[in-house]
Amino acid sequence: MQDQMTPMERAAALAKGLPVDRLPCNPNVANGVARIYGCKISELSRNAKTLADAQVASYRRFGYDSIRIFTDLFPWAEAMGATVKYPDDETADLDQPAITDVSQIDSLQPADPYKDGRLPLQLDAMKYLQDEVKGEIGCSCGIVGAFTNAFFLLGVNKTLSMIYKNPEAVHRLCQVSLETVKAYAAAAIDLGITPAISEPMSSCTVVSPKAFREFSLPYLKELVDFIKSKGKGVVVHICGQTNKIWEDVADLGIAGLSIDNVASLAECKKAVGHKVKILGNVDPAVVMFSGTPLDVRYNTLRCIRDGYDSPKGYMVMSGCSLPVDTPRENIQAMMDTVREVGYPVCPERVAELIEDCERRLKEK
Amino acid sequence: MAEKEALLAELARCVLEMEDEAVVDVAKSYVEAGFDAYEGITEGLAKGMEKAGQLYEEEEYFVPELLICSDAMYNGLEILKPHLKRDNSSKGCGVLIGVVEGDTHDIGKNLVKIMMETAGFDVHDLGRDVPVSEFVAQAKEMGSGIVCMSTLMTTTMGNMKKVIDGLVAEGIRDQFKVMVGGGPLSSAFAEKIGADAYTTNAAEAAKRARELVATA
Repeated sequence: MQDQMTPMERAAALAKGLPVDRLPCNPNVANGVARIYGCKISELSRNAKTLADAQVASYRRFGYDSIRIFTDLFPWAEAMGATVKYPDDETADLDQPAITDVSQIDSLQPADPYKDGRLPLQLDAMKYLQDEVKGEIGCSCGIVGAFTNAFFLLGVNKTLSMIYKNPEAVHRLCQVSLETVKAYAAAAIDLGITPAISEPMSSCTVVSPKAFREFSLPYLKELVDFIKSKGKGVVVHICGQTNKIWEDVADLGIAGLSIDNVASLAECKKAVGHKVKILGNVDPAVVMFSGTPLDVRYNTLRCIRDGYDSPKGYMVMSGCSLPVDTPRENIQAMMDTVREVGYPVCPERVAELIEDCERRLKEK
Repeated sequence: MAEKEALLAELARCVLEMEDEAVVDVAKSYVEAGFDAYEGITEGLAKGMEKAGQLYEEEEYFVPELLICSDAMYNGLEILKPHLKRDNSSKGCGVLIGVVEGDTHDIGKNLVKIMMETAGFDVHDLGRDVPVSEFVAQAKEMGSGIVCMSTLMTTTMGNMKKVIDGLVAEGIRDQFKVMVGGGPLSSAFAEKIGADAYTTNAAEAAKRARELVATA
């Protein structure tokens, strides 16, 4: 089935309440784009053109609605002195944090997005990306929130303990982190790119809602306000369970809230659907990576059933970045399902399709 | 006995309530009173850690809280460990232990290691996030014994089967007893992947290991 609109036309029409061909959908292929394009994952961190071309190749193949320059959670901490390891064909990982002791916090400097670490490479990739697809799809870049980045500066476990033992130090880490991510966001926006924030450490699976409100929310708000002041809407993704902080995040006045599959889409819609567009939340591991195309179809339909009528809008998405070896036919199955359901979504039809899947899954 | 019970309860409480400094003095009082270090771990420190885990599941505790609880547990262990009476019945039998690749949660693994050592096994700790190939290569080197694997995550459970498959492929599966443990596992899962035993806590793991070796 063919799309009748480009992602940008679709997004613009939806924003005006006009008819579209289908719901927007983002399988969130992430570093799996290397597999589609045919390069090693480490090349995405070495060559700006490759990073952009791989993103474009995967977008062209599946026709999804979101394209993003983002390779891992660590470029900002790396640009501030952390070291990152680059396995040949797996996602980069933090090797050593920027500092080893709280006493060194004041030695940290905000990164310069035009000079430090991989940040200039990523900015270059954004330019290449724009050259290829500008006007056809809104281009975004991933960025981590100041709180999450703070953990990579001092090390995850140490920073977690500091929440109890030295709260003031956590704030200082967040402050210098915030300056780095704001500078990067500004550089991206200058190129016409929209930042999207990931805040995995803010999850209720990691820290308490109380700790989130004290240590993460103020900096998240400042980053969101900064991006908004530049005329861009911003989507926030938080991994894991987030039900107890939905209100806080929605009240930031963001353009979208992307939730993990462990959170309930139906409940999220009920709680904050009148305030913010919701994106989610097909299970990236059990369904997308390990499941069959029929499992993908079934779970995509159930997400559509739960999310399609969310007052501020809904985008079909995976609950988190897909594992890099997610089968292509599963990514395709998610797109095909969304195309088949079409728009406006007819709930009775979706219910029928779900029943049909259930019957077929039982037969197997 | 009232004093012993009170100290055990206090050890558990220190761990549960994040008293990572106070626990040291309690552990010292416990050993100075001549009470059994092994019980101090199983009925004191580990009990506290178990309760902390429950509070995490109930969303009362979060990762920072668990981390300080585990600091308290380790601080207590430091005091108790030198007083553990080693049992020599399993001496000479090697145990290979590690957290499987993709996971770094190692509190449970570390407790099992201590209990296994106490039971007299020669424990070789591979650490956490251990690649499948590393388990298999080390097993090959060791020749025979017990392989213990743990994980707290559903996404990495599959790596346990890969290790067992690797042992089979190397033709050394029969030389080893394979034990698995960790939050999301079950005996059904252990059976499905062809492991010899699944246990739910560290003391139980050491006990089963002895039985497995005795029947081997």
